[in-house]
Amino acid sequence: MMDERFATGNSLLHKRDPKVKVIVAAAYITVAAISNSFAVVSLALALAFLLLLLSRLDLRQVGKRLLAANTFTLFLWLTLPLTYGGEELTRLGAFSLSVEGIRLAALISLKTNCIVLSLITLLGTSRIASLGHALEGLHVSRRLCFMLLFSYRYIFVIYQEYQKLKRAAGMRCFVPATNIHTYRTYGYLFGMTLVRSWNRATRVHQAMLLRGFNGRLIPLEQRTVASNDIVFLVIGLAITATVASIPFFYR
Amino acid sequence: MIELRDISYTFAQAKDPVLHHLTFAVHDKRIGIIGPNGCGKTTLFHLMVGLLKPDEGELLFNGKKVSTKEELRALRKEVGFLFQSSDDQLFSPTVIEDVAFGPLNLGFSPKEARDVAMKTLADLGLTGFEDRITHRLSGGEKKLVALATILAMRPKILLLDEPTNNLDPKTRSHLIEILLGLDLHQIIISHDWDFLSHTTSILYKIDHGHIHRCEENHVHVHRHLHIAGDHPHQHDPL
Amino acid sequence: MHISEGVLSPPVLLAGAAITAVGTAIGLKKLDYDRIMTVSLLTATFFVASLIHVPIGPGNVHLLLGGLMGIVLGWSCFPAILVALLLQSLFFNFGGILVLGVNTTIMALPALICFYIFRPWVEKNGHKRKIAAFGAGFCSILLSACIAALALWSTDQGFARAAQLILAAHIPLMIIEGIITMFTVSFLAKVQPEFLIMGK
Repeated sequence: MMDERFATGNSLLHKRDPKVKVIVAAAYITVAAISNSFAVVSLALALAFLLLLLSRLDLRQVGKRLLAANTFTLFLWLTLPLTYGGEELTRLGAFSLSVEGIRLAALISLKTNCIVLSLITLLGTSRIASLGHALEGLHVSRRLCFMLLFSYRYIFVIYQEYQKLKRAAGMRCFVPATNIHTYRTYGYLFGMTLVRSWNRATRVHQAMLLRGFNGRLIPLEQRTVASNDIVFLVIGLAITATVASIPFFYR
Repeated sequence: MIELRDISYTFAQAKDPVLHHLTFAVHDKRIGIIGPNGCGKTTLFHLMVGLLKPDEGELLFNGKKVSTKEELRALRKEVGFLFQSSDDQLFSPTVIEDVAFGPLNLGFSPKEARDVAMKTLADLGLTGFEDRITHRLSGGEKKLVALATILAMRPKILLLDEPTNNLDPKTRSHLIEILLGLDLHQIIISHDWDFLSHTTSILYKIDHGHIHRCEENHVHVHRHLHIAGDHPHQHDPL
Repeated sequence: MHISEGVLSPPVLLAGAAITAVGTAIGLKKLDYDRIMTVSLLTATFFVASLIHVPIGPGNVHLLLGGLMGIVLGWSCFPAILVALLLQSLFFNFGGILVLGVNTTIMALPALICFYIFRPWVEKNGHKRKIAAFGAGFCSILLSACIAALALWSTDQGFARAAQLILAAHIPLMIIEGIITMFTVSFLAKVQPEFLIMGK
């Protein structure tokens, strides 16, 4: 589940410096997210599919992610056309379908898929640890990057610890149901997980102090931005700007 | 070397001190420390590296009192501490990053740090582990990688807190081999008598807040009951 | 409870980003390197909470525990929630990047409000603590749902019905979070009372 399944690979996108990918992804997603034009969003989605081809990722895995993201758009399709109001397209029995509602649901669906694809192909192709260091390289607060790197590092450990506790409860015949006993048990299980994390944090902090830590995390991999990365950055931003400017040419 | 002089320490919310006017100096090369659970063995280590501050008494390093942050850093550079739980010690995503963490903090360039880390891994027979994800290693692998993270800082003294806990016999004998091959001061907390007899020459015992040296080893014959005794097994020769 | 990328209008996104930027800056300023590891690991733990599904009737809901985060972390809940949501969008591609500001505000602002309202009572013993903990769990979800609804509604009045649905759908979660927060807080008060004095 949390296995960073898209981060390993040898494609053009995997090889790019994460700093460059962060910048391009931020610009591209911004354009796609705030646009109201079908032309912009459709083109952005088409280009995102192009990125997917470039990334040479397992299409089935990507498809699963897209499917998960579309549960939300499904919610919109079920509510907006019925509740949005405005001009009526047609009536289905007691319900009236709104043109505006359908338009909005369609627009958001295109955007959602475009953005999820960009996230996967641009950011998903780097390990989260590299992205953390990349953010630090882009002058994001050092403390925030520290928190990102370490909470990422220990999520697995803590999740396993929680599962061990839960298994232990299961061994003593705990069967979750809708009752106070269940909620009390979950409350205690989670409380114990918190206590263990607290104590672990103290010990990890000590381990770091003993190895000379003084507040600065020095990445082992000093990536220098190669000329290929610059080319990718320029092309990425140029395409983004072109997509963003479509509505101005229309008029 | 390191010396604790007339140290007392009491845990918060505890009535009695766990260590009581205790004096301990590291002169010998290979020291074993034994004592019942909760007698303050780990606390002793924590006091020796300044993770805990004593209520009374002082910590000396090379004959000088350690009080400032810089003095503490100088001490910690020379003293490696292998924790009981490797999960607390390995905090980087990959093995190589974790082993290089200490050298980077000591001011090595990334390239030098990588070289030191690779060499340390190779010395411990861990070549090929560098890109493994630390939290997915087995218990024994974690222990050896944790040892590598410490040895990469080229310490002069090694503190090992129950290093053989949960190790299989193969990793355990590998660890013994490694420790015997290291020419540095080693202080080992363990309940594993056999392990201590292989790796240390002097034993100390902590008891009721005090530490004292155990009698010299003496050979004796003893009989004991074996579970599954009809299976062939071997006792380590003396 | 988070809003997908591509739904909200630029002014709403900007407002959320501004609130999150200020809250995170203050939260980080109050956080020194001696406590940052604790806060990082608690962040990871609260992330794990969002993977815990508790049963309700025939279905189940996953926990958020914003109220508990507020009580334990104080101002640090802003960077903690920001990091947790960023990790969520990187791991699962939930939410997004631009909408992080709004989504952080949705969870962190109620958490902070709970810190100021309920924390003084949580430090007291007995029933007062239990009631305050329940209140924190309950109110954090209530306020979060309100802010989420407000964000949708200010983007486009056409979302009004959808916003109401979101609010209504969260009522069971409010009760469950209240109960679980109450039990977790009494557990922490017994086992490791330091939890209830950090975050100041």
